[in-house]
Amino acid sequence: MPETKLQLASALATEEGKLLACIHCGLCLEACPTYIHTGDENDSPRGRIYLMRAVEENRLSLSSNSFTTHIDRCLGCRACESACPAGVQYGQLLEAARSDIANGGERKGLTGRLTHFVLRRVWLHPSRLRLAFTLSRLMRDARVPRLLLKTKLTRLISPRLEFAFALLDSSSPIKLEDENAMTGTKAADELPLGGEPARAALFTGCVMEGLFARVNRATARVLKVNGCRTSAPARQVCCGALHAHAGDLDGARQLARQNVDAFEDDPTAPIITNAGGCGAMLASYGHILEHDEKYAARARAFSARVRDVSQQLEVTGARQGAEVDAGRTTYDASCHLLHGQRASLAPLKMLRAVTGLEFKPLDGSDVCCGGAGVYNLLEPEMSAKVLGEKLSHIKDTGAETLATGNPGCHMQISAGARLTGLPLRVCHPVELLDESYRRAGFYGASANRPSDSQAFSRSIPHDNGSKGRASLPANLENEK
Amino acid sequence: MKQISQDPLIGQLRAVVTREQVLCEPEELLVYECDGLTQHKFPPRAVVFPRTTEEVAAVIRVLARERVPFAPRGAGTGLSGGALAVNRGVVIELARMRRLLKVDVENRLAIVETGMVNAQLSRAVLPYGLYYVPDPSSQATCTIGGNIAENAGGIHCLKYGMTVDHVTAARVVLSNGEIIELGNTGGAGAGAGDYDLLGLFVGSEGTFGIATEATVRLTPIPPAVRTLLADFTDVDDASRAVSAIIAEGLIPAALEMVDGATIRAVEASIFAAGLPLDAEAALLVELDGLEAGLDDEAARCEKICRANGARGVRHAKDEDERKKLWAARKGAFGAMGRISPDLMLQDAVVPRSRLPEVLAATYRIAAKYNLRIANVFHAGDGNLHPFICFDARDHDEVLRVKEAGREMMETCVRAGGTITGEHGVGMDKSDYLPMIFSEDDLDAMRRVRAAFDPLGICNPGKIIPAPLGCGEARAVAMQTEARARLSKTGFTDDSNGYQNVSSPHSAPLHETTEASLAAAESLSTDRERERQPGQSVQIHESVRAPSPMIHHSLFKVDVASQLCARIVGAAHVSGLKSASDIITVAPASTEEACEVLRLASSEGWSVVPAGARTWLDGDGTWRGGNVIITTERLTQIIEHEPADLVATAQAGVTLTDFNRVTGDAGQWLPLDPPDDGRATIGGVAACGLGGAQSLGYGLPRGHVLGMRVALADGRVVKAGGRVVKNVAGYDMCKLFVGSRGTLGVILELTFKLRPRPAREATVVARAVDYESLLTVAHAVIASELLPVAVELLSPRMAAAVGVTVDEHEHALLIRFAGAERTVDYQIARAHELCKVPSSHVEAMDNDAHLWKNLAAVPLNQESFLVWRASVQPSELSTMLNKIHVGESGLRRDTALWQVGIGDGRLRVIECDETKLTESISFIKKLSSKVNEGGGSLIVENAPFAIKEAFDSCGAGGGTAELMQRIKHQLDPQNLFSPDACTQQRLNR
Repeated sequence: MPETKLQLASALATEEGKLLACIHCGLCLEACPTYIHTGDENDSPRGRIYLMRAVEENRLSLSSNSFTTHIDRCLGCRACESACPAGVQYGQLLEAARSDIANGGERKGLTGRLTHFVLRRVWLHPSRLRLAFTLSRLMRDARVPRLLLKTKLTRLISPRLEFAFALLDSSSPIKLEDENAMTGTKAADELPLGGEPARAALFTGCVMEGLFARVNRATARVLKVNGCRTSAPARQVCCGALHAHAGDLDGARQLARQNVDAFEDDPTAPIITNAGGCGAMLASYGHILEHDEKYAARARAFSARVRDVSQQLEVTGARQGAEVDAGRTTYDASCHLLHGQRASLAPLKMLRAVTGLEFKPLDGSDVCCGGAGVYNLLEPEMSAKVLGEKLSHIKDTGAETLATGNPGCHMQISAGARLTGLPLRVCHPVELLDESYRRAGFYGASANRPSDSQAFSRSIPHDNGSKGRASLPANLENEK
Repeated sequence: MKQISQDPLIGQLRAVVTREQVLCEPEELLVYECDGLTQHKFPPRAVVFPRTTEEVAAVIRVLARERVPFAPRGAGTGLSGGALAVNRGVVIELARMRRLLKVDVENRLAIVETGMVNAQLSRAVLPYGLYYVPDPSSQATCTIGGNIAENAGGIHCLKYGMTVDHVTAARVVLSNGEIIELGNTGGAGAGAGDYDLLGLFVGSEGTFGIATEATVRLTPIPPAVRTLLADFTDVDDASRAVSAIIAEGLIPAALEMVDGATIRAVEASIFAAGLPLDAEAALLVELDGLEAGLDDEAARCEKICRANGARGVRHAKDEDERKKLWAARKGAFGAMGRISPDLMLQDAVVPRSRLPEVLAATYRIAAKYNLRIANVFHAGDGNLHPFICFDARDHDEVLRVKEAGREMMETCVRAGGTITGEHGVGMDKSDYLPMIFSEDDLDAMRRVRAAFDPLGICNPGKIIPAPLGCGEARAVAMQTEARARLSKTGFTDDSNGYQNVSSPHSAPLHETTEASLAAAESLSTDRERERQPGQSVQIHESVRAPSPMIHHSLFKVDVASQLCARIVGAAHVSGLKSASDIITVAPASTEEACEVLRLASSEGWSVVPAGARTWLDGDGTWRGGNVIITTERLTQIIEHEPADLVATAQAGVTLTDFNRVTGDAGQWLPLDPPDDGRATIGGVAACGLGGAQSLGYGLPRGHVLGMRVALADGRVVKAGGRVVKNVAGYDMCKLFVGSRGTLGVILELTFKLRPRPAREATVVARAVDYESLLTVAHAVIASELLPVAVELLSPRMAAAVGVTVDEHEHALLIRFAGAERTVDYQIARAHELCKVPSSHVEAMDNDAHLWKNLAAVPLNQESFLVWRASVQPSELSTMLNKIHVGESGLRRDTALWQVGIGDGRLRVIECDETKLTESISFIKKLSSKVNEGGGSLIVENAPFAIKEAFDSCGAGGGTAELMQRIKHQLDPQNLFSPDACTQQRLNR
């Protein structure tokens, strides 16, 4: 089927210039978690680029086992981009390769087909996606996964299922000494929506809003304390990262266009994310829509506005909060935050605003944890190896709390710790700062007393919120 | 679906490792078709990922059995195509052998699996304040094993040397699957009497075997660093500044240069460091060492730059800025990659003084071929890296790039340089090798290669231009055997058969006939069938060489004297007082030396090369050869170029004279081997021994850049070159240095010099109790100080050297050398560290006589037994205690001993003949102890009978047979008769 083939090779073919930029020096090898584990050039960025080039030059078949295996095995962490002296944009090449593979033939394996189905049939439809997350959250909050994990029943069925449940359970909020630390407020109380003149637009994200809404609230509060009001545009949808990483570039573009539209109300406001994966994706809209006449320029403008919450705090400066009893704390960088958005120091600076935090740096914090979106479910073996390394480094720090700025990493590390019996609390750095601010009384006159959550909720400007609530997951009562 | 491979080899490989350790699908082998250099492509037959040395050996045994060639591979960052498996060979990938096996902080060593990544080693030992010095630009990914194969350099090798200077031992799997240990795991203080097989192995580009473990030296992180950036509007000015900095006696840790084109590319990239865009060249200079005096050096450096036309000089104000500047330098390659689809990164070295003209030539050549180039280089070493920009899709441009590359190489070679300084020859430059080496030189290399790899399956097709594949090495092995056979018949029949064999230009190897190739083929397979399991393949029957004495009966003194007199003149042939059956011949030129060798070869005499003969006949009973060829009339200093810090001289020049002449330019060869003023540079090199100051300056092996050596058949071969960095071909210098005249006569040597330090001074501490001095010495070494020698002397030794001591007082001498202020500081600090009870300490400024005397002691004492041992510095205390408990037979009051604390070197001179038997039995016992710990114990001088009886030569490690093979390859007739020790080693 030569005709399809022509069309198939197109994604890589359009990236030919980027393929040629690779000078084959090999400096990326040691940055690549999969290469470190297999020692196989095929599992290195340089090797994968070589394979892509071979496909592009018709020396290798797109559907060949070796091509799909090694492209699938890539975590997509983009650590190689930071190591690359020639500035090869590997992430984009990977997406192109996966897109070609996805368009090229039949999905292999049940998991692959299932992922494809979910991404297409659920993720592209906000209402279905909301429903899915609501169900998941209900299940989580009813402690179903925790119970199942305790019975070891899940392990009997499949380790992959066990891990999936552990992931879900790991999205639960942590307790920092005080039971009420992060709770007791309503979404509508904190999110200045729609009509309010805003300094920044908050990208809430599907997983974040679905399972980590508390982090979105904390983000809004923390930014407010530092003089930046946020609003969450109503029509925003999933960023499309999962689609792009899985090779569904069309799906990603469809979502991208919707987001570009959604954030044009206040075209100069920075777009704030608190999930590295989303942030890096939003930052690449300019790239994925570059051939879309109608959207190219707007997408570029959109991408230029994207900032992680920590990067925004670098701009505004972060007020120093009160002490938080988080115990020894360490930080693990989300790959896409670090390599995709180049936020290396900003999250650490944010943690520095938490007074008296006992911080211990994590060896290899710049290496992927193996989560990588849904990689942990698609390539469980490699993911487990990479995670094992991460956990052993975490263990070495002796940390009780680990902060990380991406839900995937959050759940991956937390699930890994849970299943290996490592006592560890995982949270978003902004949650720590939020708690620190709360204790400092920034949210209300007497907010340093634990029971003062009411007071601080009053300090957040109220808003009618009706417009926003329609599109935000409506039943987002906060976590307990 | 995974297909089942049709290749039967795969099954055999998977039988010795696990299934997933072998890649064999063509699609997966594609990425292994090239390394960092994509111009050459050879997809392998399979890739194997062993996890242990034993697995490597097992895999190689399979390949040897099947005669399948293989190539070792690390991270595949090499730039010469060295890691490709040609002829459908197998790649042995070491990436899974990346464990750090041991860190020995006290002795500053680490043992690693060779798949370990260079930068990770430094990271792992950082908590101890140590690092691994070689830092090639690819250090973030390249492996130690790859570094060893290529003898990798890097930015800091100007001051600290290349990989070969930082590896002390290696575990190597040969091409027959045999595992051997090269080098000395216990102490590197003195040569062990073996050939320097490790030195030869480093840089052999995987053609000798696969190193699977290595012991490497760690270095304390310098306490202070200064980094300067000088920019120039003219490239010539910058190159002159480089020469001037070196000629002025500064030794920067790094001295790098980038040209205008590179500056602009870098500044446009993420590595932008604020280099001035309108500059035509920038020098990046790094000085490191002690804080004291470093600012003076930086100021001197700035002054020199300005005097040579620098427009501005910027000092990095903090670590961040320093890192940024270095990132700009190291990122140059990548930054160039951004502006050009393909890059040809060339690598060549020229004498520093020729930099300006060669640089100009590269631009001229690029213009001629209409190519864009940029230059980035290790200017301090004279190592150029021109980048040629091109587009591989443009066929015509590719051709022009090749032509331009060749022309640049020719230019460099004409300027006295070499074709590669650190990237290696590999596949890429083997065509260029004949530019610098003659067919004879290459032949000698081929022979050494055949000794390591008789089967010719070890990374064939690399380095030496030759027909690819197995035939080549076997042909060499065959020819050598043929020679040996012929010469043997020659002895008995008359002198007919071997004329054509020993003539210098007998049948060149590549013209070996089909027939002999076929014979070689069948021979090796026959042998293979007969081979016992576990036995190494081939060759040894033929190596059972005739004993050196076999020629003895044919030797007639008068006839020989007459024949030799015809060549060198009667006045230069003499007898030996102590032995009536030996004559000494003193040729006055290379030609005469070769003529004498050819004569000896055809007459079947055995030959002993000699310099001042300070060691050979020390006790008057030495024998073992018919003709001593002495270099005493080869006393010309051929060339000394101060700006290059390089000098060439004939082998008979004494070290004293050599240093007098180079001293006129404020330079010297910083060696202090046993020498009473007569030692010749040839002798020093042949013995390979260092002295007390080898702690600071290193051993002779590190100073010899090149040499000319007459081989047994009268051919003169060149080894090395005249530039400070050179990885073209095998480093044959390493083989000849320390080979004690068993492989050839060294006729001419080129040395790397050092600037004479502005000041030298010695701190002397004395105490009755040597333990306390030992403690002090260890403290000095562990401190930030950088002594060039730390020597502990026995009371009598101290007296002999000229230190005033009380009868029972030991002396500790600590010597510092360098800039005034640096030495001042160190003396003061050493005084503090030496504050132990019952010792008195003084600093001496006129200290030269002490060290001169120390070097002369082993030669001018009336002794009956001299021995030395080399152990880990941490073992010294135990060693000394053993000597002192009395069982040694040493009498405290008569024994002379010296201990080099920093390098674990011990020499004992015994003068009491009445204790002979006890002494011998003691050192025999001690020797086996020392050997167990990886060290060595050697009898340097003794009555011949003792020396002969004493099996003292080195730690072994299974290298004896390999040494035999090398000896046999280079001297098939066994013309050069070794001294007793080496003889024993060879016969073992």
